[in-house]
Parts: sequence; structure tokens; C-alpha cells
Amino acid sequence: MCPGLFGKLYCRHSELSDTAESKLMDSIEKKTLNVDSMTPSDPMNVLIVGVGGQGVIMVSKVLATMCQLQGHTVKQSEVHGMAKRGGTVFSHVRFGTQVWSPTIPKGKADIILALEWAEGLRWINYLDKNNGTFIADTQHIVPPFACLNRKRGALTGYKTHLPGEVLDYVHVGYALDATAIASEIGNYRVSNTVLLGTLSTVLDFPLDLWRRVIGESVPPKTIDLNLKAFEAGRRWAEEARKNGMAPDQSPVIVPDDQPQPEEDNFELVLTLEWCKGCDICVKVCPERCLILNSEHKVELTNADLCTGCRICEWLCPDFAIDVIKTPHEPQTGMSR
Amino acid sequence: MDSSSADSFNIRDFLRLDMFPHFLCPGCGHGIAMRALLWAIYELEIPKDKLAIVSGIGCSGRIGAYIDANTFHVTHGRPLSFASGLALARPDLNVIVITGDGDCLAIGGNHMIHACRRNLNMTCMMLNNEVYGMTGGQASPTTSEARYTTTSQSGCIEPVFDACALATAAGASFVGREVTIHLPDLKDLLRQGLAHKGFSFIEVLSDCTEVFGRKNNLGESPEMILSQKSRMRPSSYGSVDGNIVDEPFRANTLPTGILSRNERPEYGDTYRKHAADIRALKSGK
Ligand code: SF4
Ligand code: SF4
Ligand code: SF4
Repeated sequence: MCPGLFGKLYCRHSELSDTAESKLMDSIEKKTLNVDSMTPSDPMNVLIVGVGGQGVIMVSKVLATMCQLQGHTVKQSEVHGMAKRGGTVFSHVRFGTQVWSPTIPKGKADIILALEWAEGLRWINYLDKNNGTFIADTQHIVPPFACLNRKRGALTGYKTHLPGEVLDYVHVGYALDATAIASEIGNYRVSNTVLLGTLSTVLDFPLDLWRRVIGESVPPKTIDLNLKAFEAGRRWAEEARKNGMAPDQSPVIVPDDQPQPEEDNFELVLTLEWCKGCDICVKVCPERCLILNSEHKVELTNADLCTGCRICEWLCPDFAIDVIKTPHEPQTGMSR
Repeated sequence: MDSSSADSFNIRDFLRLDMFPHFLCPGCGHGIAMRALLWAIYELEIPKDKLAIVSGIGCSGRIGAYIDANTFHVTHGRPLSFASGLALARPDLNVIVITGDGDCLAIGGNHMIHACRRNLNMTCMMLNNEVYGMTGGQASPTTSEARYTTTSQSGCIEPVFDACALATAAGASFVGREVTIHLPDLKDLLRQGLAHKGFSFIEVLSDCTEVFGRKNNLGESPEMILSQKSRMRPSSYGSVDGNIVDEPFRANTLPTGILSRNERPEYGDTYRKHAADIRALKSGK
């Protein structure tokens, strides 16, 4: 079912740091090329992951329809309801002569199609280590809950690995900046169709059927755009295979070993003679660390909570608050 | 939105500190607009000597007096006329007019349309709080329908002026609108208006908490400023060149951001060139 697969990682975009590049090269060399070594499994398991709003469901519906039209039994199950824009969305598509369970067991996915890089990494343990194909957009969408520490300069909880670093977990990997390709075509939103194009090169389905099903699954106004995106995704995969990997064109992902930035420290200076007790700062502070005291003047209750966001400073109509950036030593609020 | 200069901007460098605290009521949005203006001036690195601030009458007009620069507090409705003379005589100055909805659109309405028409190089910041705050809360040309004021005790029944549409139609070459709660955006808009060569008209939707807010039961200052978000539509819904491309998706919302912009000739340049031509013609005789 899966034609010519390559024990390689194909990636695209911008520069890699030297260390990251050599790491990537090392790990590539350790692998031998096992073209056509993958035994097609039955049922075939495709896991599609991404975040809300990217079109995970559209991709899985296209795939499921394709399988049906090809005479396979298909089971598709998805989780999406909890994911407003930005939340995690995934869809299992299983097809073959007979499918019992609708969900893919860990380590058994033949293909993971990730519309967002970190989502792909989160699900990588579902991939069949020895035979699995990993296709991922290298774009990052950092979810709000990765930014719980809102201090400026603080690290987000959004950790990523370089494409080279995931090689140990995948048999074949395609890391492409589908969002950039889609933007070049005219709308970043068709990145999901770009990835479908790449997917179509590893599945043995007739090309005109892909085009037909995509045409039927997208809004009529966007058919042309989506077909272009589909072709671009195919072309990318074909070129990547022809040229092999291009180490100078890999996603920019901050390596984990880079020096950690220090959090900035802020001091809140309150000019009480100017404060008129309008309550604006108290209500707009996202950390809720300001109050009005018994004299109806602003007061900082917990200096540790203050992130230095400056919202109180900006919206105080009486200029009674100054947020001052201080060198890296925490200080408590004071009045002047 | 660009707030990279936030760490280095200190508003106190631009204030007449001996006059503080200022006279505005608690929570009045004009103070926030003033911060945005001073921040924009700071970012453009305009020297105080080259700054001329002309303001009219009203709460809005008062804020000019707190700015440490060349300030000129003039008669009701006429700041644009004084400023026109100033901009013509001293093209090296950055002329900024601070005016209010009543000052600019009612008493000074005539001056406003002709200032837009001439397209002299200056920036007009109109603080729109929908009311004459200083004089006790009378209805102004921008008081929304059904709002209570001291002169519309059973709700205002007059239609409002859309100041930005008026400015565009009259020929202002840069027109924008912003709310005070989006302070960095307001600062960016003012900065672009100040940098624009020609007449820039910027409407700032501000809150009169003590008079208008109280009379209309709009809540305390925080509620009033937070409610600005639901009344506004961000500029991203406009197209790149500043033209509005869609209809409001909620009733009673106004578009913000740069609403129109063009590069038509600035009147001062035209005037000076014309004068030079005539002079050359005369001396040639
Ligand atoms: S916003 Fe300013 S004036 Fe209002 S309570 Fe806070 S510090 Fe005081
Ligand atoms: S800077 Fe002001 S608004 Fe921001 S967290 Fe600190 S006190 Fe709150
Ligand atoms: S009357 Fe209204 S506009 Fe004037 S200072 Fe008071 S709140 Fe502001």
C-alpha cells in the first residue's frame, strides 16, 4: 500500500545552527536507507493531529472518503469538541479489508500527519517506530497554556525538538513549512491541503480521485486554491525525495541547550498624591495584584505577582503608576 | 502594536510637574489619550522646541496646559484656525491640535472642514466623549441617540456626526480612529498621524466618566473603559491601504485604525511654491 518510502528525513526552511546541523547529519548517517522496506499493514492506520481551526477534520474526512471510494472498510474517530481555536484536535483514520476498533493503538500508526509541529511530537509514540511515516508542518502555534508564567522574558512551556532529533522515532519523516508554502499560494489556511498533497505521495490512491474528493470537500470558492496547495505539497515531497535532504533548509527551532533568558524584573512606583482612586488599574491588572486601600488610593498587594505588563501604567489617567524595569534582582513595590 | 520603547519612555519628562495632579475627573479617558500622544512624540524624537500644541476650550482643551512644550490655549472652536496660521508661518514646527467633539464639530465645525480641505501639515487629535463635560454635560454633535444629557433629558433624538467620515469627505489626507483602552495602538496611530505630511485627523473615543457615564448609568470608570472593547472593531478588518472592506458584524460598532490616507499636496508647500513663483515673476519684470 505504501510505495517507495525512504529512511530519511526531508525538511525545508531557513537555517539550522551548526551544532543542530551536525546532530542532524549524524543521526541521518546512522540510518541506512531502507527503500520499500515497509510492509503494508492491514488495517492501515493514519493519525491526523493539529490544533483547532487548522482543518484536521477536513483532512481526515477527505482521507476517509478516499478510502471508501477505493473499496476499503474505514473507521474514523475524532476528538474535537473541547478544542476551541488553539486547542488540540486529533483524528484516527483506519482502513483495510476489515477494521474492528476505531482507535489506533500506541506504536501502531503507519502515518502521522501533523498540522502543527509540537502536536506531532506529542503523538509520536503512536507511530510505528520501524515502519512509520511522519509528516509534519514545522509551523509553531504556541497555545495560551504554554505561557502560564507571564513575566516578560520567561520561557514558555512550549518545547520542541529539531526535525533531526525525532529521527530515532520515525522511519521516514517529512518536515515541511506547509504554512509558508500555503501563504505563498495565497492563504496560509490551505496548509492542511498542502500536507494532504505530501500525504498523497505516500499512499497508493489515484491522483484524479484525490483532486475530485478535495474539490467536493472544500468551499466552492476555494477549490482552485486548494488544488494548487495540493499540487504544491506533492511537488515538495517529490523534490525532497529527488534531492534528498537539504540540511541547510531546516526549520528554525530554538535548540534546548541555548542559554536560558533571564526574566525581567519590575518595580512599581506609585505616586499617591496623583492617584484619584478611579479603580481602573485595579480592574485591568491581569494578575489582580492592585487594590484601593481605605484612603481610596492604589496599593500593590503582592509584588511577586506583578509581571510588569504595564497595563496599569498605560491606563491610569492620572499617571500615578510607573512600572520601572530593574536589573535582575527582584524588588518589592514601594511608594514615593 | 509596538511597545518596544515602553521601558525607556517616562511621561514625566513631558509634563509640567508643578501643575499636577491634573484637574480631570477620576477615571477621565482624556488622561490616557494624553499619555498616548506624549509617547508618540517621544518615539518620533520631536524636540520640545519644535512642538506647538494648540488646544481649544473644554476638558480636552485643558490637557494642552499640562504638556511641557510650546502650548497655546485659544478660543472656543478655533484651535484649528490658530494652528493653520502657525503651521503656515512656521513650517518647521510640529503643530498638534487637541480638541474635543463639541469644540471641533459644533463651535469649530466650519474651521474643521476647511482645515481638512486645505491639508496643511498638522495633526488634529479630537477627543470624543460624546458630551460637553466641562460646562455641565450638554448634548454635543456626537452624543449617541437615546443618551441622556442635561439638554436631552428624555434621551437624545438628534443623529450623530461621524467625525472621521466628515474629515475624509472634507479632504483630510490621514484619518484614523482609536479607543483609549488600546493604548499602544492609539500611540502607534498618533505616531503615524504625526509623521504624515498633510492634515491628520485622529478621533480618540474617550470616556467622560463623571458627567456622561453617570447620567447614562454606564458604570464606574473601569466598566466604562472595558466596555470600549465591545463597541469597537479592530483595524485588521480594514484593508492594507486603509479602506474599509467589510460591514460591521455587530450593530453599534465602529471601525478603528487608519480609515483613509492619501498623499495629496500639502497646502503649505503649494502656498510657498506659489509665492516664490510670483516673486520670481515680479523680480523678472
Ligand atoms: S488608575 Fe491611577 S488614578 Fe485610578 S486608582 Fe489606579 S493609580 Fe489611582
Ligand atoms: S504591571 Fe500593573 S497591571 Fe501589570 S501585573 Fe503589574 S500591577 Fe498588574
Ligand atoms: S467632565 Fe467628563 S470629560 Fe471632563 S474631566 Fe470630567 S470626566 Fe473628563
